[in-house]
Order: sequence, then structure tokens, then C-alpha cells
Amino acid sequence: MELQEEQFVPKPAEILDIREMTSIERLFSLRFLDEEYERSFRYMPGQFVQLSVYGVGETTISICRSQTRPGPLELLVRRVGRVTNALHRLRRGDVVGLRGPFGNWFPVEEMEGSDVLLIAGGLGMAPLRGVLQYVLDRRERYGDVNLLYGVKSYEETLFREEVLEPFERDSGFRSFISFEKDDPFYEELMRRNPERVRKGVVTVLFELADRYLDPKNTYAVVCGPPVMYRFVLRELDRRGFSPRKVYVTLERRMRCGVGKCGHCIIGGATSITYVCKDGPVFSYFDVLSIRGAI
Amino acid sequence: MSKGDLPKLLSALKEFGEVHGPVRYGKFHSFRRVDSADEMDLSYTRTMIPPKKYFVRPREEILRVNLRRGYELLREEPRNIVLFGLHACDINAIKVLDSIYMDEHPDPYYASRRERTLIVGISCLPDDECFCRSMGTDYAYDGFDLFLHDIGESYILRVASERGESLLEGADFLKKPEREDFMRLAEFERRRASMFKKELISSHLPDVADSLHDSDAWNEYVSRCLACGSCNLVCPTCRCYDVFERVDLSLENGVRERRWDSCFLRSHALVAGGLNFRPTRFDRFVHRYNCKSGINVETGLPYCVGCGRCTVFCPAGIDHVEVLNSVWGVVR
Repeated sequence: MELQEEQFVPKPAEILDIREMTSIERLFSLRFLDEEYERSFRYMPGQFVQLSVYGVGETTISICRSQTRPGPLELLVRRVGRVTNALHRLRRGDVVGLRGPFGNWFPVEEMEGSDVLLIAGGLGMAPLRGVLQYVLDRRERYGDVNLLYGVKSYEETLFREEVLEPFERDSGFRSFISFEKDDPFYEELMRRNPERVRKGVVTVLFELADRYLDPKNTYAVVCGPPVMYRFVLRELDRRGFSPRKVYVTLERRMRCGVGKCGHCIIGGATSITYVCKDGPVFSYFDVLSIRGAI
Repeated sequence: MSKGDLPKLLSALKEFGEVHGPVRYGKFHSFRRVDSADEMDLSYTRTMIPPKKYFVRPREEILRVNLRRGYELLREEPRNIVLFGLHACDINAIKVLDSIYMDEHPDPYYASRRERTLIVGISCLPDDECFCRSMGTDYAYDGFDLFLHDIGESYILRVASERGESLLEGADFLKKPEREDFMRLAEFERRRASMFKKELISSHLPDVADSLHDSDAWNEYVSRCLACGSCNLVCPTCRCYDVFERVDLSLENGVRERRWDSCFLRSHALVAGGLNFRPTRFDRFVHRYNCKSGINVETGLPYCVGCGRCTVFCPAGIDHVEVLNSVWGVVR
């Protein structure tokens, strides 16, 4: 019974730190009050937690950090609904509830020995940041690492220091940025790095990145708004990436996190799938056989 | 056992816990607590609300929250229940629910109630809306403790669990069935099999539902559908729930509760920021039919057990079997 309860009763966790990331997004660092639980809490890049604000409710947030990096659990939260608005009103030292981690993760171990291509759009950078950190922390086990990141503007760019670092110094990976709005910062960056920055949606970056990509020996991981997947997957397909080596992470409404509440069900009669427990990470191969996944 | 000995069987079952059975209530039937055999109507066809209400309540508080201390599990007084008089379709539906609620992440509320429930099945005769035979759920192989096969003046009692067996220890009203009894059973089953009027072409159902999801054939029904969600509430295998939190006026304590949810409601696939993965009634309609047309991989049972409730209680008169047969191209 004990084990079951752990999955259903949120554990209290203290907000250690809050970092303003954009006008609507904040990075929350959290630590479980129960020290033993804190020590035993393990997660992998791509997994998510159910976060509760006491008395308001619960919401699904992906973990945006790799455990290979010492430090507390980090969640990047966009203020967009009832619970996330309430969360943004909390301060350092306040306590929230956490359940998890839930779901599967990006196959970071299977990816060893291959090149890694990360493709993120907007908030999609959050779950991919864990993969990036994981890979950089075991840098010698992976080949080339390329990040294609599509944003609206500098103001809306997440983890700016981290994704822009390769423009300043050798950071172990190559970063390509696309931006949509007129933006002095990126226009300047594009002027200095025309081979890495371009105006447009994230798919315009393929042309820039192509000469560094080896589709036969690359794992691609993709996360972004739903509309992005179809276009990105088409580009990857066109370049001959194997559907088994392309991974996406999906978003759906979730209430339980463990395949009960039924909200995250995707697929038709032949392929009923729970995003929460069968995913949220799916290979493009899976996606092809689960109707409605993308 | 003789049908006249039903009260004796009930008192033996009461040793286990409260007995709940099918009771006629207004126009329909409902599972309710009963004290004696004559309160029950054992010749009922279907209840409006399926027995799932005993395991996942229509609305229930699951956690208590204190705004300073956080969440704790709400425990309920453990209570043994005998669910008496379930039909094969409902027993099979509970098996599907079990596979979901008691899988590798058992739901604590469901699991404890399920473990404390003894299930006694009873044989039945179909009405015009029953199509369990098409779904292969017209017979319960397991998933119950005792099963009563009606053979006229008496029942053949099938015992399927140690729990059921031990309750019958020393029951002097039980007799060993004789050859004629089994012949009556065969006769009953033959008659029952011949009575089904509705047939759903179910042999390739998952593939059909999946591959024809874009078919125009759905439109006729979608345009009649009120998207009210009744079909979800009366479905014995629909298990979606939504979760809410309430705080009392002192702003100190509250509860988290869950309620049955419906995939026909707009909010079902809505995510943060207003994006909806099933924005139209068409999407939601086809989703439900797809979900019901799948096969539960753990049990090998279909998600639809053919009880006919969704058809009987649809305010728009949409017939589950007709919809699927029509999309399949059988009707029209």
C-alpha cells in the first residue's frame, strides 16, 4: 500500500529559488522536505512530475534538468493556467507538492556512440535541456552535438546563457538559432554568425546545419509546439533519418500520471496509448503507428 | 440449489458483508443495498449505472489538503460488499477496469474496494439492445466468486474462488447437480444464444474503427449527438476521471476530489494555453468509438462489452451498433 500512496499523494517540496526566465516563464528550483526522499529521488531527461499548489490543484511539468548535474530539481513553468498562475505567485521558501517522476525518457544510453541532434521550439527547450546537460556531462560518449532552437525573440529565449554559450566559446555543442520577430539582438548575432542564425521558423535551420549532420549516425530529439512536429519530422524524413532514431516528447492533459484518468489517451482502436505511462517520449516510428499522436 | 433457497444463500453471503443487488427503481434498475432476496429483481436486463460506481465513485474526495502542511490520503472505513446478480458483460467490464486500476500502479482507492468486494454473477436473457454475444463477453470465465446459472426451478452454482467456496462451507441447501440439470443448462444457453437480435460485426473492429476514422459515415450520427456524455457515464468500462480541488471558507483546509469525466466534453483534451487535441464534436465522437472499439491488451477483452447502456440511455437515440455497422458499411 505504501508504494501506491507515494504515487498518489504529493510530497512536500520547498521552493529553493525562482529565476525569472521571460515575462511569463520562471525556473523553479525545488527540494523535497523529506531528506531521505530527496536523496533517493531519481529522474531521467524527458520525465515529468505532477506539481501541486496547495488548495489550487495539480499540473504536469516536465523536468528540465539532468541528474548528472549536482543541484536541485528544476522545473521551468510558463504562467498559462490556474495552477501555474498560482505557482508564479509563490515565493522562495514556500512549499508545493510533487508526485513523480513519471513517464519514460529519451534513450540517452542507447544514443551513446552517435551524434545527437536536438530540435526545440519555444518552451520545447525545457525538456530538451535535460538531454543537452546529460550529453554534455558525458561528452566523450557522444559524437557531434547540434542544437536547432526556434524562438520568437531574444526576450522569449529560454536558458539564454546556455543556448548562446557556443557563440562565445567552445561549449561542447553547436547551437543554431532561428527567430521570428524583428529583434535587434538576434539581427546582430545573425550578422556576426550568418552560418548559425537565421530569421524564420526552426526548419530554416536545417539548411545551415546540414553540413554538420550525418543522418545515418544521428539520434534526433524533438520538442516544441504541436504544429512544429509535422514540419520538423518531414525535414528529418527527407534527410534519411531512421524513424527509430528520431524521438519526440508529447504534451497532453493529464490528471493522474499513471494511466488511469484517461485524458492523455492517444491513438485509435488498434493503438490505444497513454502519453503519461507509455510516453511522453515516443520514437517517430511509434508516432507513425499511433493515430493522432502528432 | 433451489431458487427457493435464495434467502439461505444471501444469509451465507452476509457473513462476508453488505449485500448489494439489482433493485427496480422507478423506470430502471439500480444496484442498491438489499436486506432480503425479494427486494431484488433478478430478471433485470441492465442497470442504468454500471457496477463501476462501487470502485470509482461518480464523485469522491481522494486527498485532504492543509494549506500549510500539504496533502494526505483520505482513508475510508474498510467495508466488505457482496455485489449480487451481476451479468457476464458487467463482470467482464470489471475485469477491464481491474487491468487499468490495478496494474503496475494500483489505484489505492479502487484496489482496496475491489479487494473487499465479492462478486456473484447470474445468468441473463438478452433484450433488443444487448450485443455482448458479438463482443464475446456474453460469458464470464473468471472475474467473479460465484455464478448462478438459471435452469428453471433452480440454479447451478459455479464457484470460482476460495473466498466464494469458504462462504458456502456447511451450506446444507446445496445439492450436487444431476445430468438433467446440465441438460437444462445447455437448453438455457441455446435459447439465450438464439435470442440476440443485434449484431455488431466485431471481427475486425479495431482495424475498421481505425482505418475508417475519416469516413463521412460518422457525420450523420455526429450531427445528432448532443455531446452530453451520458454514454460515458453509463458505460461499464468508461473510466476517465477529472480532478478538482476545493478549499473551505477558512482558507486553511480543503479536499482534492475526482469525478467521472467524459471524452465528449470540450475540456477533455484541452491543454495549457487553450490548445485542444480534439476540438470538434466529430473528433470527440470518433475518439469515443475508437476507444470503445479497441482491445484491452492485458485481458484480451474488448473495451465495449455490449451491454447496450449507451444506446438505451442516449437522449439522441444514437445506437452504438448501428453507428459502427454503418461506418463498416453493413447498414445503409
